[in-house]
Amino acid sequence: MSEPRDKDEKKKDAPLKPDEASRREFLGGAGLSVTAAALSGAGALLSGSDEAEAKATWGEWFQKNYRLMTEDEKREAVLRLEKRYTEEFGKQTTVDSAPAKEGVLFGYALNIQKCIGCRRCVYACVKENNQSRDNPEIQWIRVLKMEKGNFLAGDMDKGYPDPAGIQVGGNAYKNSGVVLEGEHYYEPAEVPEKGYFYFPMQCMQCEKPPCVKVCPVRTTYRDPDGIVVIDYNWCIGCRMCIAACPYWARRFNWGEPNLPAEEMNPVTHYLGNRPRMKGVAEKCTFCLQRTRQGRYTACVEVCPVGARKFGNLLDPDSEVRKILEKKKVFRLKAELNTYPKFFYFMD
Amino acid sequence: MRKTALAMLASFTAVLLLAPALHAEDTYIHYLKNKQEPADCFESRDGYSNATRTEVEPGLPNVKCSNKTGGVLWWGDPFDGTEPMGEMPVEADYTREEAVVKPRTGQLKYYMPCTACHNGSMVPYPKNKNPRPLAMHQDIVPDSMNLQHGQGAIWCLDCHNARNRDTFIDHKGGEIGLNQPQRLCGKCHGEVYSDWRDGIHGKRIGSWEKGGKKRWWVCTECHNPHTVQERRFDPIAPEPRPQYPRTRANADHERGHGAGAGH
Ligand code: SF4
Ligand code: SF4
Repeated sequence: MSEPRDKDEKKKDAPLKPDEASRREFLGGAGLSVTAAALSGAGALLSGSDEAEAKATWGEWFQKNYRLMTEDEKREAVLRLEKRYTEEFGKQTTVDSAPAKEGVLFGYALNIQKCIGCRRCVYACVKENNQSRDNPEIQWIRVLKMEKGNFLAGDMDKGYPDPAGIQVGGNAYKNSGVVLEGEHYYEPAEVPEKGYFYFPMQCMQCEKPPCVKVCPVRTTYRDPDGIVVIDYNWCIGCRMCIAACPYWARRFNWGEPNLPAEEMNPVTHYLGNRPRMKGVAEKCTFCLQRTRQGRYTACVEVCPVGARKFGNLLDPDSEVRKILEKKKVFRLKAELNTYPKFFYFMD
Repeated sequence: MRKTALAMLASFTAVLLLAPALHAEDTYIHYLKNKQEPADCFESRDGYSNATRTEVEPGLPNVKCSNKTGGVLWWGDPFDGTEPMGEMPVEADYTREEAVVKPRTGQLKYYMPCTACHNGSMVPYPKNKNPRPLAMHQDIVPDSMNLQHGQGAIWCLDCHNARNRDTFIDHKGGEIGLNQPQRLCGKCHGEVYSDWRDGIHGKRIGSWEKGGKKRWWVCTECHNPHTVQERRFDPIAPEPRPQYPRTRANADHERGHGAGAGH
C-alpha cells in the first residue's frame, strides 16, 4: 500500500503552471491579461510547460459552466478529464456524462430503528466516491449517536429544554436526549450500544435546496432527477453553500485531496465522483454515477442491517414509495421547507 | 552480545511507546496504512454470511473489505455467488423480476449434507417432537430445554424436518429447502414477511430499477434463528471514527448540552 501522494511535493521545483496555481490567483493576476489577449497569446503564457498538459489545463480553466456546454463541449471536457485521470492515477478511468433519466425522481429512506451505527455506509461512500482519505479526511455521511428518549410521567414537570439545545423530539418539558446534539466520534468495541440509537445524515437532495440559492456562480444546481449536483470546475470555493445547508451535508477540500491510486475508483461521472481539486465543495450525489446506470447506491448495498432503501419516487411500486405508504415517516427539519427527498422511517 | 541486548531494549521501548498511540488511532487512514485487506470478509452475520474476495475482471474486485473489521464495504459484483431465488408461493417483485439469492447451504457449518448423519440409521429419527436435551450441536443451541424462540410454543422439529433433515417443514408437513428460510419464517412472522416482499424489511442489492435484477437477503443472513429472541442482530465492531478536528485530541467538545452538532 503506497502512501497517499503528496501533490504539493512536486510543485516545489516546477515553475508555476496555471493548473497548479490557485484559481483565484490565476484569474486575479495573469488571467486578466490573458482574457484580453488572443488565443495565440495564451500559448506564450503556457510556454515551458508540457504541451498536452497545457492544453488540458487551458481547456479546463476556460470551459463553460457544465449546464451551458453543448453536447460537443461536454464530450470534449469529459475526454480531457479521462485522459488526465488515467495518466495521473495510472489506471483506465472513465468519466460519464449521463444525464438524468426521464420519469425518475430519486428518493431515499432510512430506518432509524434498524441502524446500528456500524459506519459501513460511511466508508462504502468513501470507496465509491473518491473522497480525500487524509489531510483533509472527507466523509459525506455522518452517523450521529444519540441517547434514547423517554416519556416518563415523572419527568413531565421538570423544566424546559436546555436553551442552547435544539429540540426536535422528546416532550415539551424535557429534551429526553433527542436534541440535535449527537456524538459522531463514538468508538466502542461493538455497536449498537445499549440506550442509544444512531442517526446517519448526508445530503437530503432537497427539492428547494438552500445551497443552490446561495451559490454565486451557479455551479451547484438541481438536475431533473432531483439530484443536487456540483460542477467542480466552476466552484470558486466561497463556501456559501456549506453555510446555507441546514443538514451539515457539504464538505470542503481545504487542501489538495489525497487519494491513493490503488484506492481510486476509476468509474466516475463528471457531476459525481470524479477526483476533485483543492478549494472546491463536495457532497453526496446519491452515487449518480451508479444510480443513473440503474445500480443501487454504495451505502444501500453495504448496510448490514438493510436500514437503507433507495428508488424512484415516481414509481408506485418502488421500495421508497411503499415505505411512504406503509410506515411512519419524517423528514429532518421539515419546518425549513427545503423538501428533502431523504426520509427517515420506523417500523 | 551487549549490542543485541541494547537493540532489543530499544525496540521494546519503541513498542511500548508506539502501541498505545497506534491503538488510539482508530481512524480510516491508520487501518489503511497499517493493516491488510482481509481475503475473507463477512456481509451481515459474521461466520454465517461470508464473501471471499476475488477479481471479477482485472482491477475490479467482487467486494472490498474493511481493514479494521473484515466487513464488506463495497460491492463490485452484487450477484457474486448467487442463484435464482426459487419458487415463491406469494406474489411480489421476485415473481416479476429477476431475483437471486446466495445459497445458505454453503454457509452452514455442519452441512455435508445433514442427512449424511441424520439418515435414520446413523442417527435414528426422533420418535416425537417433545423437547429433549441435545446430544450434539450445543454450540448452536446451548440449552435446548430452554429455547427462547417461540417461548415454549415451538421446538426444533417445528422448523426442522424430522424425516428429511436437509429441509425445513411447513405447517402442512410439506418440505421447504434450506435455501428458502423466508418461506419457513413467514409461517409465523406474516407482517415482517409482507414488508420483506415489498423490499421494506431486509436488504436487496443490484439494480433499483423496476424489473431490474436484484439480490435479496434472506432471513438467516442477518438473524440467528436460535438466539433471535435475545438479539435481533448480533452486535458487530464499528468502522473507524472520523478524525478529530485538527485542534482537538478528543471528542469532549461534542458532549454535554449546547455544544451542538455544529460546524
Ligand atoms: S441537504 Fe444541503 S447540500 Fe443537500 S440539497 Fe439540501 S441544502 Fe443542498
Ligand atoms: S451501514 Fe446501515 S447500520 Fe451501519 S451506520 Fe450505516 S445506516 Fe446504520
